[in-house]
Amino acid sequence: MKPVLFLLISFPLLGALILALIGRHLSRRAVETIACTAVVAAFVLALTAFLLSGQKTQSLTLAQWFSAGSFQVDMDIYYDPLAAMMALMVTFVSSLVHIYSVAYMRREGGYIRYFCFLNLFVFAMLVIVTAGNLVFLYLGWETVGLCSYALIGFWYEKPDAANAGAKAFVVTRLGDVAFGVAIALCWINLGHLSVSGINDSAANLGSQAAGIIGFLLLLAAIGKSAQLPLAVWLPDAMAGPTPVSALIHAATMVTAGVYLLMRFFPVIQGSPIVMALIACVGVMTICFGALAALVQKDIKRILAYSTISQVGYMFLAVGAGDLAGSLFHLISHAFFKSLLFLAAGCVIHALHEEQNIFRMGGLRRKMPQLFWLFLAGTAALGAFPLTAGFFSKDRILLAVFLQPHAIYKVLWAIAAMAAVITPLYAFRLFFVVFFGQPHADRSRASAPAPVSHPSVPNLMTWVLWPLAVLSLFAGFLNLPANWAGNEWLAHYLAMVPGAAPELHASQEMESTTQLGSALITIVMVIFAWIFYGASIQPNECNDETFQKKLQSLFLNGFYLDRFYQTRIITPYRKTAEFLWHKVDAGWVDAALDQSARSFLTLAERLRLWTTGRVSQYVSMMVTGFTLILCSLTVAWWYLQI
Amino acid sequence: MNSTPLLGIIVFLPLMGALGALVYRQNERACRLFALTVMLTDLVLVLSLFALNTSPQLAGNWLRVEDFSWMDSLGIRFTLALDGISLLLILLTTALGALAVLVSWREITDHVAAFHFFLLAMLTGILGVFLATDLFLFYLFWEIQAIPMFFLIGIWGHERRIYATVKFALFTISGSLVMLLALLSLHIIHARQTGETTFALLQLMHTSFSLPLELTLFGAFALAFAIKIPLIPLHTWLPDAHTEAPTAGSVILAGLLLKTGVYALLRFAFPLFPAAAQFFSPLLLVLGLTGMFYAGWIALAQEDLKRLVAYSSISHIGLIVVGLSVWNVTALSGSMIQMINHGITTSAMFILIGMLDERLHTRKLSELGGLWKIIPVWSGFFLFFTLASLGLPGLNNFVGEILILVGTFTDRPWAAVAGFIGLLWTVLYGLRMLRKSLWGNADPRPDIADLTNRELTILIPLCIGVLWLGLHPGPALEIIGTALAGLNSGKGLLTLAP
Repeated sequence: MKPVLFLLISFPLLGALILALIGRHLSRRAVETIACTAVVAAFVLALTAFLLSGQKTQSLTLAQWFSAGSFQVDMDIYYDPLAAMMALMVTFVSSLVHIYSVAYMRREGGYIRYFCFLNLFVFAMLVIVTAGNLVFLYLGWETVGLCSYALIGFWYEKPDAANAGAKAFVVTRLGDVAFGVAIALCWINLGHLSVSGINDSAANLGSQAAGIIGFLLLLAAIGKSAQLPLAVWLPDAMAGPTPVSALIHAATMVTAGVYLLMRFFPVIQGSPIVMALIACVGVMTICFGALAALVQKDIKRILAYSTISQVGYMFLAVGAGDLAGSLFHLISHAFFKSLLFLAAGCVIHALHEEQNIFRMGGLRRKMPQLFWLFLAGTAALGAFPLTAGFFSKDRILLAVFLQPHAIYKVLWAIAAMAAVITPLYAFRLFFVVFFGQPHADRSRASAPAPVSHPSVPNLMTWVLWPLAVLSLFAGFLNLPANWAGNEWLAHYLAMVPGAAPELHASQEMESTTQLGSALITIVMVIFAWIFYGASIQPNECNDETFQKKLQSLFLNGFYLDRFYQTRIITPYRKTAEFLWHKVDAGWVDAALDQSARSFLTLAERLRLWTTGRVSQYVSMMVTGFTLILCSLTVAWWYLQI
Repeated sequence: MNSTPLLGIIVFLPLMGALGALVYRQNERACRLFALTVMLTDLVLVLSLFALNTSPQLAGNWLRVEDFSWMDSLGIRFTLALDGISLLLILLTTALGALAVLVSWREITDHVAAFHFFLLAMLTGILGVFLATDLFLFYLFWEIQAIPMFFLIGIWGHERRIYATVKFALFTISGSLVMLLALLSLHIIHARQTGETTFALLQLMHTSFSLPLELTLFGAFALAFAIKIPLIPLHTWLPDAHTEAPTAGSVILAGLLLKTGVYALLRFAFPLFPAAAQFFSPLLLVLGLTGMFYAGWIALAQEDLKRLVAYSSISHIGLIVVGLSVWNVTALSGSMIQMINHGITTSAMFILIGMLDERLHTRKLSELGGLWKIIPVWSGFFLFFTLASLGLPGLNNFVGEILILVGTFTDRPWAAVAGFIGLLWTVLYGLRMLRKSLWGNADPRPDIADLTNRELTILIPLCIGVLWLGLHPGPALEIIGTALAGLNSGKGLLTLAP
């Protein structure tokens, strides 16, 4: 088992190293082959590990890292069903995205840098997933952040892309401050940093310590998973290449926060307050993302806000104590959201980098294959009955509802209402892009010439099919009992610390909620068709009405960005200038310079004393001797003590 | 006590080289080659120490002590002693010394022999500071290391070099004068108490003081060291010195001279005056933390790359002082390894900026941008070392930071929390620096060559150092740990913090 797991994480690292060191001397084909091989090999190894290990938990040490005093950190692996599922998902989606990227990047320079960071990303993500030590996990955690930074800013000549990369790095690092403190606290309170050790002794932690550590982990997760109030970086991250958005900013990295919470669930479980807080953050973010997605015009921004909202469901599930539901939704979301992003990449590519959905329109006939693929993704996102998204979202809502505390009933009600919006924005996107006619944007004087024969490399559409199939049928992973399913995923996870396989819901209850949400979804799809199906209305009102204000509020993500800009970033910059010019140069340095100068003046004054009059010299000598004698006396007395 | 005075040879070889360099003053190339050979020989000698001594046999965990009589009537002896911490630091010194010769290959064209004379003489001073345990000898080396820097900046520096070098000299001299007074007082007090005239550290450690006297003496020593470190508010000489110094000067300054201050606090000030150290440790903690935020904040506003890195250096050193002030094994190990880490990454940054300056004749961020397109290899290195100094796990600085902060957390949790937050300040100015230099649009420029083989030869060893200490710092930490246990055997210092 050890070699398999070792190779699993080292293959992508090896790929990245080769590309970084000798990529410049290789042909483009060789670079692509190395990058894809490394990741596909990792997928094969993840599958092997999954099949070999069954439900067993493996702990092993790859290498000693560092130690000082009693503080010791090793590069450990902790491989259990949770890690196994994540590793499978990560390597699977990564493999498809790598293959897709070969076609997507075929006209771009900088492809070595692209594939190098993409491979490094897969390595780092696998480290997060399989790390058996909190600090080792942190290594992966920061490295995915680096890769995200580098890939968002892939087109670094564009100021937007370069700024968005830095923004993503800084905002996620904000959460990582909490991660660092959590590491220190775990070591002080528990005496070790291994995943299994922390989880085993979580019960002795006491609710206060567990609450603090849990809260810190939550903060770290909020940053990485773009939840409120740190959700602002993800929409901007769309400045990166679309495959990167699909892999990093939809399927894998943004779910790392959820994974962190699942991984240390026994700690979080120790504090009901933190559990409720996680659920609240989730619900607030669900509403935030869904409402913002409803009015966006940029296809990638719609998907980005949708991702924020969907990850909110995973948080909600963790907050409700349903790990299986959270992982179920994480996996199905990974399939349908990466499908949607990659399909959107095809659309954007075919329309020459057009991203405004109201300037697309009518693609159903021009791109029939893509139409069906996109439909599969949209249906799963909108939780259309019997798709993967339907079962996974339903399980989460049910789990929340079943929580005894009253606050969860409130959260359930809000989440259920927000779930109404999801199919609306999902199908709005779909109908506007694939039906109707492109609408010339008023802001641009000349409408672009409609693309008559949109063409997309075949490779880019082929890789979407497996994702489409999984988006529709991944529900079988965890088919509920009233569908004669055996909830395989939930039972597979049974051994994971903190996981409870059974929801303890009656079959009638399950059927009722499923029926309810199925009905709502269908109604909302019809609504969406009425609003956006037949004729395209980029519903803009010109008058200053309440509706207009509301729309602008949603469009700008509740002005969260502007708030941070004016309240934090600008004051921070100004303080920097102030500290430099006024305090450091104007005060500290000036004071020191001044004292040096006053010595100079003193010397000048002393020079005046050389008058040549003997009487003055004598009096000065006497004064001087007296002073010296006095000081010597004082010093002698002082030294006696 | 050892038959071959290996440490003495290591210390004085650069000085011999300095005199030798003057012999070659007619032939610049020969002079450079000679200086390089001397430094490489010295490096090999230091490496041979690793082979000779793996585990300490002497009391106090000294690896090697060389003691010769010198001015016995005054109690001054020529004593050099090596423990794990000084071993790592002299390794850094000789390595950076060799690199400093290499980076000056094209940059320095005037008075080449004199330049190498001052450079190598300064290295002897630094090596001496890291090895001397006789306080008088230490003071001599302390002065020897400072004076050549005065000339390096003043003769080979940039536009405002005279202002910078006078400032540097004033700060340094006032610090060391105060220290000299304290040192002599210590000597006299010890002589009165015990009747033996000595400057030996180990004997002076057994002097007893009244608390006010101890505080005064500690304050005098700490003032000199704090200026060198530099702790705020005594730091303002550093940005000026860095900005005006030639690259080699910046490398030595950031990589080594600043370390002598921290090292001297650890080796002399704390063990000689433990009660005072305990009294002052909260002040050091606050100054270190404040410096971390303050300098990190100011770094964000900088336009000149060298000034930016100088302020970042003050910020990083602040964290090292935090670790020192807490004084437990974990935090101290972190501080010691961080000295090496900081020496590597900051030197690398200054070297890279020097290479950029040679090509573009500017270091202003507003005039840079899009460098990744123009000089990708240089940019790759710049990104790598910036990431290292941002504390990316897997690279060297992370290990030091986490050890310092976790160690601090055991005794002073809130200070550690502040320290974790302070790391964010590093990220902010670091990313701004990358954004303004590497990314964005490139101005059309005449063809600029990327790194040459000589430059790669300089940078690759530093890269290896970053990765080695980031991924496998175990052996270095073990050496440090043994040395720290030796420090502990003196006066039970490791129970300093409440």
